[in-house]
Amino acid sequence: MINLVYNEMLKIVRKKRLFIIAAIIAVLVGLFTYAQLKHVQEVQKRLGTNDWRTQLQQQIIDTQNRLNSSGISEEWRKFLQIRLQQQQYYLDHNINPSAPGAPTFMRMFVENSIELFLPLMVMVVVADLVSSEASGGTIKLLLTRPVKRWKILLSKYIAMLLSVSFIVLSLVFLSYLISGTVFGYSGWNLPLLTGFAVHGEELDTTNVHLLSQWKYLLIELGLAWFVAIVVGTLTFMLSVLMRSTAAVMGIMLAALISGAILSNMVSSWKSAKYLFMVNLRLTDYISGTAPPIDGMTLGFSMSVLAIWGIAALFISFLVFTKRDVY
Amino acid sequence: MNSNIVKIIAILSIVASGLWIFGLGVMVQDQFFHKATPLRKEITSQTETANDQQLHLVALGDSLTRGTGDETGKGYVGYILDELRTKTKQPIQVTNLAIKGQRSAGLVKQLQQAEVQRQLKQADFVFMTIGGNDLFQGGETIRNFSIARINQTKASYLRNLDAIFRTIRTVNPQAIVFYISLYNPFNQLNNAKTTSAIVRQWNYDSAEVAARYPNIIAVPTYDLFELHANEYLYSDQFHPNKEGYKLIGERVASLITFTKGERK
Repeated sequence: MINLVYNEMLKIVRKKRLFIIAAIIAVLVGLFTYAQLKHVQEVQKRLGTNDWRTQLQQQIIDTQNRLNSSGISEEWRKFLQIRLQQQQYYLDHNINPSAPGAPTFMRMFVENSIELFLPLMVMVVVADLVSSEASGGTIKLLLTRPVKRWKILLSKYIAMLLSVSFIVLSLVFLSYLISGTVFGYSGWNLPLLTGFAVHGEELDTTNVHLLSQWKYLLIELGLAWFVAIVVGTLTFMLSVLMRSTAAVMGIMLAALISGAILSNMVSSWKSAKYLFMVNLRLTDYISGTAPPIDGMTLGFSMSVLAIWGIAALFISFLVFTKRDVY
Repeated sequence: MNSNIVKIIAILSIVASGLWIFGLGVMVQDQFFHKATPLRKEITSQTETANDQQLHLVALGDSLTRGTGDETGKGYVGYILDELRTKTKQPIQVTNLAIKGQRSAGLVKQLQQAEVQRQLKQADFVFMTIGGNDLFQGGETIRNFSIARINQTKASYLRNLDAIFRTIRTVNPQAIVFYISLYNPFNQLNNAKTTSAIVRQWNYDSAEVAARYPNIIAVPTYDLFELHANEYLYSDQFHPNKEGYKLIGERVASLITFTKGERK
């Protein structure tokens, strides 16, 4: 079994995709670091100070003013309302939610890439895991060996899991290394708040507690990994079902992008919460951002994702072991 | 060579998987099984490193201080800043805490916030506009005109104004406060005579409140908008436009001088 997995890992590494992904991450992190730096400088110039409390206070006032403008959509208003209460809570407890530093940058990068960027990277590796064997004809060679079919698929699946872990690892490693050159490498022990619950327009703070940034990051990375695994499993299933890698990519892309769009407009379509793609922003529950549909919780979203993942895994194995290959 | 790379990547991936699973475990423990413990307030008593070289401006109030109607977004605070930059070389920090549509009761509440008080404490100059929304209530006062109701509003407004000034003075006894009073945006309407009288009386009473406290200066704007109201008003016929804000800004800025030794 180990040999089989090793063999599959060898195939993945040979294709050099992992390195391409690392390069893409490095370039993007560089870009975002620069953008963030510019932003920090701009704010500092505008307010004439780098005191975070002044900056946060100004953000709160800006949000309040936006809330008072007419012609603001209901969803956006709710989102702002929640964020406003949260910012005020941070300010009242004298905690800076965005103290500069590589760990903070990393946290924001993970929070912003969990929905689209990370799944895309996973897709790049997983999409042709099985389908390329089918379209290239090598599947016959693979299946004529005296190994059970399910074992072959399992070895591929394990290789997929390992590469997902590797992608998350390189995301962490590169974002820390690159952003640290600008923002400094410290900040692992900064306190952050978690445990906010959103009820309609109100922010419930009964369960709020402090968390060191490293722990907070570990939690978020665990969640990001979970999301990446589910997306990877779904892609894996499509890869089993279809011979064309392009078709696999197309379908997954459409699903992911529609998820990003839907999250912004589904608040009145309640049953959309059972779609996997509106549940991808798991880190929002940790930071306390309003979910796209009322009543969604961390446990709910994780269950929905898990069910989709398990179903996809089941279908993959069923189809792969029963299918005629000729 | 190649097989080594594969091995390294595989081992790294296995280690990473363990780490991420551990992260998920921490998450479950933290998010689902966390006992509600009251959060203690962080210690706020760190020493203030107030920069004496820097000039702190704090602006409070409603949409006028926000700059609604000025397409450049500066508002009168921005024009004051422009003027002050020509008068002094000190670095200037501006904190604009004004909220659109804010009424005097809202400002009283806002001034209770710890961070707002901290800002006030550092201030050298405070600019504020308040009362426009109390009096006009988005035009409601003009539509259903009633002297009795206006007097009632005014009484509670004056109480709030007194509380506002008192808070500012308690928090920061030194800062010079410019209270910018109201103009009559309805000068062109047919009942201009009545509305003008009300605004004049309103301003007079407010100035009386301001006079109870040292260094609170009521700056009139009534006259600025008396002659050419339409040229200085924004298209909503209520807020000043860019030119109107410039007038207010210049008037306030002209009151600020930097003579030697007067300010540190």
